[in-house]
Amino acid sequence: MESVSDSDSVRLEVSACLRCLSSSDSSRNITVLQTLLSYLDEASHGAAQRAQFSRSHYSRTLRVLITTIEADWVHRLTARQREELWDALFLRGPPEQALLVLLEAIGELSPSTSLDHVVTITEKFLQDGRLTNLLWSYCVGSAQSDSPQLRETLLGRLSALPDIMANKLHHNISPLFLPQQYYPLLASAMLTALQRTCQALRDNINCSLAFVSQTLGKLCLQGHGLVLAAMAPRLSACTRSDMVWQRVCWKLFESIPQRSMECVLTALVPESLGRIVGNLVLRNKKAEFVITHKLLLLQYKYETGVLRTVLGYLAADRDRRPLLIQVLRCICQAWANPSAVKHTPMEQQLYVSKALLLSVSLLKDQELQDLRSELLQCLLGGMQSHLDSSVLRIRCVGMVVGECLSSRMDNADTKLKFEYEQDEETRELLSLMTPSGWCEPEPVDGKAHKNPLNQVSVLQHNIILTFIHKSSDDELTPYDMTEDQEVSQTSPPRYLRDCLESLMSSEDAMRVELSLKAADPLVRRNAFAAREISVQMSKVLLHMEDKYNIQGFLILRHAAMVALAVTDCIPVTQYLTTEFYSLNYSLRQRLDMLEVLVAAAQELSLPTTDKKNSSIISALDVAELPPFQGHDPVHWRQVVEKRIQSKTRRISKGASQPATAKATPNRYAPVAGYFFFPLLKNYDKPEVTFDLLGSDHLVLGRLIHSLGLFMHLAVNAPVVSPIMGSALLDFVWTVRYHTDQMVRRGVLFAVCSVFLSMPSQNLLLDLGDMLFETRTWLTDVAEGDPDADCRSLAVQSLVLLDKSLKKQLKDPQSPSLES
Amino acid sequence: MSHPPPSPIYTLRGAGGPLNSLHFRCYGEDAPLLFSGSGKGCIHIWNLNTRRTNKVIEGHSGSSIIWVCTKRSKDTLISQGRDMQICLWDLGEGRCDLLDSVWTGSVGFCQCSMLETSPISSLLAFAGQQTEEIKIIELPSKIQICTLMPVAKVGMVMCINLFQPDSCPGPLLLAGYEEGSLLLWDVTQQSILSQVKAHPDPVMCLTFDPTRLRGISGSSEKNLSSWKLDEKNNLQLQGGVTLANPGVSQLCIREDGKLLASAGWDSRVRVFGWKKLRPLAVLQYHTDMVLSVAFSDHQDPRQRLMAAGSKDQRISLWSLYNES
Repeated sequence: MESVSDSDSVRLEVSACLRCLSSSDSSRNITVLQTLLSYLDEASHGAAQRAQFSRSHYSRTLRVLITTIEADWVHRLTARQREELWDALFLRGPPEQALLVLLEAIGELSPSTSLDHVVTITEKFLQDGRLTNLLWSYCVGSAQSDSPQLRETLLGRLSALPDIMANKLHHNISPLFLPQQYYPLLASAMLTALQRTCQALRDNINCSLAFVSQTLGKLCLQGHGLVLAAMAPRLSACTRSDMVWQRVCWKLFESIPQRSMECVLTALVPESLGRIVGNLVLRNKKAEFVITHKLLLLQYKYETGVLRTVLGYLAADRDRRPLLIQVLRCICQAWANPSAVKHTPMEQQLYVSKALLLSVSLLKDQELQDLRSELLQCLLGGMQSHLDSSVLRIRCVGMVVGECLSSRMDNADTKLKFEYEQDEETRELLSLMTPSGWCEPEPVDGKAHKNPLNQVSVLQHNIILTFIHKSSDDELTPYDMTEDQEVSQTSPPRYLRDCLESLMSSEDAMRVELSLKAADPLVRRNAFAAREISVQMSKVLLHMEDKYNIQGFLILRHAAMVALAVTDCIPVTQYLTTEFYSLNYSLRQRLDMLEVLVAAAQELSLPTTDKKNSSIISALDVAELPPFQGHDPVHWRQVVEKRIQSKTRRISKGASQPATAKATPNRYAPVAGYFFFPLLKNYDKPEVTFDLLGSDHLVLGRLIHSLGLFMHLAVNAPVVSPIMGSALLDFVWTVRYHTDQMVRRGVLFAVCSVFLSMPSQNLLLDLGDMLFETRTWLTDVAEGDPDADCRSLAVQSLVLLDKSLKKQLKDPQSPSLES
Repeated sequence: MSHPPPSPIYTLRGAGGPLNSLHFRCYGEDAPLLFSGSGKGCIHIWNLNTRRTNKVIEGHSGSSIIWVCTKRSKDTLISQGRDMQICLWDLGEGRCDLLDSVWTGSVGFCQCSMLETSPISSLLAFAGQQTEEIKIIELPSKIQICTLMPVAKVGMVMCINLFQPDSCPGPLLLAGYEEGSLLLWDVTQQSILSQVKAHPDPVMCLTFDPTRLRGISGSSEKNLSSWKLDEKNNLQLQGGVTLANPGVSQLCIREDGKLLASAGWDSRVRVFGWKKLRPLAVLQYHTDMVLSVAFSDHQDPRQRLMAAGSKDQRISLWSLYNES
């Protein structure tokens, strides 16, 4: 009965007070405020009355205060009174209610002094550490009004406070409300609450961490994971030796809501995991999924350090080790999966490879023995699918991983050993097998700058040395000495037929080498003789093998074949293009043919004048060499030129210089068809040794790429390029969704070159409806292709196509449309 | 970007044989001259202003000339031929008279070495009748000063260099032998001061810089071997240079001590900075072995020339690093 009357009396008194505040009679208001304030003081009222006030009347009181903020009596308060009575009501009561009312007021008030006042109170609220009180009150369960809705609202306000403030205040925002300051403040408030929790547990007081966990979860969910990153070092330090802290920490992470678990873990992962979250993976399904599956197999954006932390976390505890084994099995499957090799992006494959190597390096010998057969299976399958790939990088990764796995599994000498070029990537992969990098680097100072005096003396020494160096014979600049090669005994062939003869039948290594070296210049010099034997010589060169390990064999042979194809274009290209589809050639030879054709086409499409001019000039130089100045023939020429230029007075600036680009006949345009069309035939006719649409997709990719190049080079051949363009688009249409990314890249390159080289008026006319199908396909590729190169190529072709079409549509007076 | 190697500023043709020896005489008022000794037994005297032969001397009865030299004091030319004779010629006032001749008895290819001790007298060292033997005579008088015979077996004497160091009272002689050793002889004591094995193959040529007390020797292999004479007159090997192709016929250091030139069997002349043996240029002009190389003694450093004589019967003249 008494409590009822108590509560009634409180209610009556508060109502009276509030009425008084709402009326405009100002004389009593100061005493009223004092009365209200006294309910928050311990001294003046009983605990029950205070609790009654905080629970039922505090929010209402604050709201009334906010409504009277514009009233005259409030303005008449002195600054001191205002601070001690008005502001204090907000700062001494239950913080959660105060915060809600304050933020509500800020949301409703329009910019005015009143708003400024409320903002100042909020600022003060944060500065006075009321956030800590807020969190702590939830920890000990003293927060009275705890409905789920209220809690959710509060969480939302807490985590979005900077946004709310910024939305209202725009540029006039106090730095305290900026995310850079607010979130660290919140983090430190959480840490203090945890600290107090630890203390309370030691004093046998029960605490609940649910609210702190929820706050943390909410923050991470909203993308403020950095809060956690700021807390983690402190948590890590505290949990190092303190069992209570450790338990508090584990509890904290266990009570994080399911839906924000992933965000929390990913935010936490760059830091040390094990001590802070404990065996969370074993207890929480969501956490297990995130750690063992999502971070390793689904996502691939993280640094190697994150992988190390995750796998190290799994390996560090006896209870978690079964998970490591399970993870390793999954990673093995993912790595060895041939479809994954084909269809996932390179970056992800690299990521999975790293994870595989790391987890294998973490295995103990006993576990390794148990897993041996599975690992071997993975190794064999994975190696095959990696080595089958036509992308060099994938093959390389496969080789490195294969080597590492086999060396880890076998102590005997049955290791795999591949030859690959060491680069940054392979070195990084190899380094993953050495189990290091767990410990944090110790600060090493004091050593680096130990001896500044020494350094100075070294510096001086260097200066002196360079001085001496300068003053000696280094003032004599050396001439070019690259010509200083070893002299061979036999002389090179002087006639093309001799050259051919020795290439065909000579057993003398030196003669063969000299003939091969001489072939390119001989062919170019004796075009007439070359035409007689061009096809025969091409055949010999094509079938030639590097029997004598000649230095630069491939380059020399390539150069000679290109020279033949350029000198006697039509027969040689006919020969090569027919041979390309015939029986009994190795892939290497077929690729050689393509390379030769491409290089020849490139050379033919270049203007010819430059070479001749330069050779004439150099001949002149030799002839007019003046005595005693022989070492710099170009120099005097420039000097004379300059002198003439300076003495010449020019009337008009326009045509002062002779035009640098002279018109020359395009040598490629008339023969472009010979390069292009024969290669389009027969591609779908599988031979016994050559199945272009089947397993030989490496050649297919190169073929399409070469065709694209021929197309591109035909940009100055407007007669054939439309025909070539539509034929090429037809050709690539069948293979546009090929599984091999090299082929797809080739296809996209070819499409690019079609759009680049075809005259824009022909695009619409000749390609017509095909264009629109191509467009949809290109957008599809640009969005969804796993290979980054393919995507960018597709985007490029789209841009080219649009540009070309736009140009055509804007310029309707194009000649072809009229005709 | 380094410059392309230079071309010869001009060439002299018509020697009619391989050019075993070259010698400049460009000081003084007269026209600069180049003496060349050919494999056909002719000594050509080339006028470098007109770039034509002033005179051709045929004095060794058609045998190959292996060495030509002039005395600084007078118009005296000394030539050595494979006919075992060393001839002295008087070239003053347009004459070319045989003054004197010395019989050496040597069947080898070892070139003589001359050291002018005073304006009138000089020492001449040459290989003797026995293959290891070196004889030294005083010149106008032809008095034999000494005979140097090594006790150890080092094979035929291949090249010699007579010089007068500041530290010793008497002249010293450097000699390279068939077995690859270099011997330093004290001429007055007739004793060996130092011996060093410079090459695995015969020492084909050597040259010595008396001011820096450093020398270099070449052989039929790819390496040039550089060595130094220390205070106690010990020869010390200092490393060397490796060439692209084996075989060196002659080495020559320019008077200012900046350049070293080597005449290679691969028909190239290589130029090095002498102080550090830094390769500076590879001169490719000749089509056959280069047999001899010489630097001119012009008083004006800008006019200095280098001449190279080759088995292809041509002499090429080069102007290199003359700016400073």
